[in-house]
Amino acid sequence: MRIDGDICNACETCIPYCPMEAISMKDDIAVIDQDECVDCGVCQRAKVCPVDCIIFEPADWPRSIRATFSNPRTEHKATGIAGRGTEEMKTNDVTGRFQRGFVGLGVELGRPGIGTRLRDLDTVTRALAKAGVQFEPKNPLTALMKDPKTGELQEDILNEKVLSAVIEALLPIEKLDDVLSALKEATKKIDTVASVCVANRADPDGPYPLRKLLNETGIPYYINGKQNAGLGRPLANV
Amino acid sequence: MTHTLHRRGTAESLSKDYALMMLRAMGVNDSGYLPKCQEFLRIALRHNPVNIGSEMKGNIFEFPPEEIIAEAKGDSFVVFDNPKVVAAFLKDLKEADLGLSVVVSGIFENVDECFEKAGLKHHTANFSLGIWGKTEKLPSDDILEITTMCGHAMVSTNLVKAMVEEIKAGRKTPEEATKVLAPNCT
Repeated sequence: MRIDGDICNACETCIPYCPMEAISMKDDIAVIDQDECVDCGVCQRAKVCPVDCIIFEPADWPRSIRATFSNPRTEHKATGIAGRGTEEMKTNDVTGRFQRGFVGLGVELGRPGIGTRLRDLDTVTRALAKAGVQFEPKNPLTALMKDPKTGELQEDILNEKVLSAVIEALLPIEKLDDVLSALKEATKKIDTVASVCVANRADPDGPYPLRKLLNETGIPYYINGKQNAGLGRPLANV
Repeated sequence: MTHTLHRRGTAESLSKDYALMMLRAMGVNDSGYLPKCQEFLRIALRHNPVNIGSEMKGNIFEFPPEEIIAEAKGDSFVVFDNPKVVAAFLKDLKEADLGLSVVVSGIFENVDECFEKAGLKHHTANFSLGIWGKTEKLPSDDILEITTMCGHAMVSTNLVKAMVEEIKAGRKTPEEATKVLAPNCT
């Protein structure tokens, strides 16, 4: 994102809209710190600039990934969907992505509202790879790995900043404790936050084995969450 | 694994917060999905939702409901503040049998009851394990209760603080402040 300094009337209205606090006043015009800006487009989409001087020009690689990860109205070429991850459990009734006996792990770095450099994602993906997870092949971040077996991301993107990015992985339910321990250690090394979640297919008689495991092991989880209602067709055999 | 999963709040505030989404699975049932998402929104309107929206179009804080439905593109969503209404809506959806996936977010215990009343079984659940890492960078919990309502973090901490100041100064009502914040959410 960029502000046309010839047009800006210094009203400062746009400043609080930036989730990354990247807009500031300099010499009586608003300017955007290009290193901190994640090209999410909030400042422009809010339509609060009275002189319409906020501009988005699609960037070249690797900066272009800022917008694809940060602006939810931009589709990822790797997934064909908008947003930062895949459909994950939201369409599990028809995709069968998470089968019984497995846990889907989602680690969204930068969320909520802090942002993340890809280098921090690299720290976490490498640790998770060592812990033996299988990265979701359709996740846009997986597409940016040199090798999904090691979790190592491409070097040229490591300094790019995004509002958030989701690591998605699959693991057998019995590995959950080990993987979460590895994740806990990795998140001590990052300069941002990570919103962490786990997904699980219900047993045929109704309950979620993962909920039982979380309760038994004392792993804290929120009282609110998401549930797939099983209304999709054709139903996957999971 | 995004959207409404990591919303923060008290049991009381979350008990009035139910976000539902209808979405297609790419490569499975995405062909001809749009009329189904539009019908989902039409059914939702019969139950007085707090908000409806279409992924690539926007929500009712940006456009009239009829325009959202007519110009819908991408997945659809609806927000309710009452579990009884959620149960009734889910029952209607089950009868309509639109064939796309539906995800309900809210307090597990309450959503479980809604499923039961609508005759639905558990399929897959997503549990939030909270926020890890450098949590000292986060704003206060009361700010997070607002900002985490947008799963894509499009509502900035500073805008929430600015609206709090506007309300305190008597320049805006809470409803007017909401209308400044909500359009940023996608």
